[in-house]
Amino acid sequence: MLRIEGLSAGYSAKPVLNDVSIEVGAGQFVAIVGPNGAGKTTLFKTISGIVKPSGGTIIFDGVDLLAVPPPQRAHLGIAHVPEGRQVFPSLTVMENLEMGAMTESGRRDWQSNIERIFEWLPVLKERRDQFAGTMSGGQQQMLAIGRGLASSPKLLMLDEPSMGLAPSTADFIFERLIEIRRQSGLTMLLVEQRVAEALESADHGYVLEAGHVVLQGNNATLRADDRVRKAYLGM
Amino acid sequence: MEGFFQALAAGLLIGAVYGLMCVGLGLIFGVMRVINFAHGDFMMLGMYTAFYLFTAAGVQTVFGNTVGPFVAILLAGPVLALFGYFVHRTLISHVSGTRTASLEGEGHYAQLILTLGIALILQNGGLIVFGSVLASIRTPLSSSAWELGPFFDMSIFLNKARSIDMIVSLALMILLSLLITRTRIGKSLRAAADNPTAATYMGIDVDRAHRTAFALGCGITAIAGGLLATNYPFHPFVGLEYVIVMYAGVVLGGMGSIIGAFWGGMTIGLVQQMSTLILPTQLQNAAIFAVFLLIIFFRPQGFFGRMVERT
Repeated sequence: MLRIEGLSAGYSAKPVLNDVSIEVGAGQFVAIVGPNGAGKTTLFKTISGIVKPSGGTIIFDGVDLLAVPPPQRAHLGIAHVPEGRQVFPSLTVMENLEMGAMTESGRRDWQSNIERIFEWLPVLKERRDQFAGTMSGGQQQMLAIGRGLASSPKLLMLDEPSMGLAPSTADFIFERLIEIRRQSGLTMLLVEQRVAEALESADHGYVLEAGHVVLQGNNATLRADDRVRKAYLGM
Repeated sequence: MEGFFQALAAGLLIGAVYGLMCVGLGLIFGVMRVINFAHGDFMMLGMYTAFYLFTAAGVQTVFGNTVGPFVAILLAGPVLALFGYFVHRTLISHVSGTRTASLEGEGHYAQLILTLGIALILQNGGLIVFGSVLASIRTPLSSSAWELGPFFDMSIFLNKARSIDMIVSLALMILLSLLITRTRIGKSLRAAADNPTAATYMGIDVDRAHRTAFALGCGITAIAGGLLATNYPFHPFVGLEYVIVMYAGVVLGGMGSIIGAFWGGMTIGLVQQMSTLILPTQLQNAAIFAVFLLIIFFRPQGFFGRMVERT
């Protein structure tokens, strides 16, 4: 579904990603883990078109993504749940979800999508008329996820959904994501610093360090790897 | 006492038109975060467009002297919206929106120089094309009044042209707020204003949203300008007189709040008219800024500061 090959990108003179290759198959749940500054968020921004790459290719669903203007990429079926949530603070919860459904498929499936989103994330239903800017971090994160789901995406990209949240809230959000995946079979690409949880729930994982993919494999291989165990899992 | 109510009424009438004028600028600033110094001159163009539509383009012959001016004024809106769309596409878009990431100071310096340059070109171009003679869009209504009352032995006189100006302003304001709060386009404009990056992730074309806001803002202010021209004569440099008031209104209302800009403009109209009760007419503008400073001193974020509601 998503195939990234030899991708290099950066800001001005400073390269952040160096020859990164990643593949996400249809229906897969892929996690990218690694320390701060490894280039995980830059990778997502390059997929969404906010950062322009200096080399490499990104093929999504058979389309050369780099030839598609950034705002059009959502219409192809990519939903980006950005780092730090980035909900629209002066819009209500419902309006935020409507913004998620700007795509054609989102508009078409609006009724059924909204019912499912409310079922998965009931707090959004309770607070549907509240301004997003007045909600707590965890609620905003759930809204950001709901907003991504509202577009009927083929691929849901989640950038550190646990960032800045209390551990129990982060656990709850992980549990919701796994439940959403179980029920919908949605293809997901997750970037996370909570390596243990991320590797546990994903089918396949990549370890990104200083802009390079240093390790990849299915979740059992990665969790059994000595370097991962020492560096990330504290074992 | 009669003088007080008369000034209050006059303030409400002119305030509604000022409010509409400020909303045009507030929309552009709120969505794009671009400070458009040429906005007064876009309004000047709106006044002349209405003037020539009325006198030269046949609106006067078709609709007559009473309704004609208002038809011409409303038609000037779309004309200036188109002009604004064109100016954004050819000039402003190069230093705003998604291009700002690669510019120094997020493009604000370039925006400042560019809009000041556009202002100078419009002012001096206007002087060449329209000449320096004062023009005005007079209707028979400009010099007649409705009498309200008498209540308790006093009557209030409402200038007919100004009353219709207010009604038109309020109607447009209601339409605009419905557009901003209820429609898909309006919501996506607000989303693009809130967080352009996240809006792009949603599939919203932020540059196109900016172009829409710029065109709408120019059209709205052009109509407000035409309405003002039914009572005040104008010339190619008239924009300078109003652009200061527009900014005061937008800041009073709360930077970024579109509805707030209307109330900011309304406040300025009220202060301007009420100040004539106690101050000589020449001090009207001084009074506006004295009150402006006072309000900003106690409420620096304006009436509708950010984060509360940005509609």
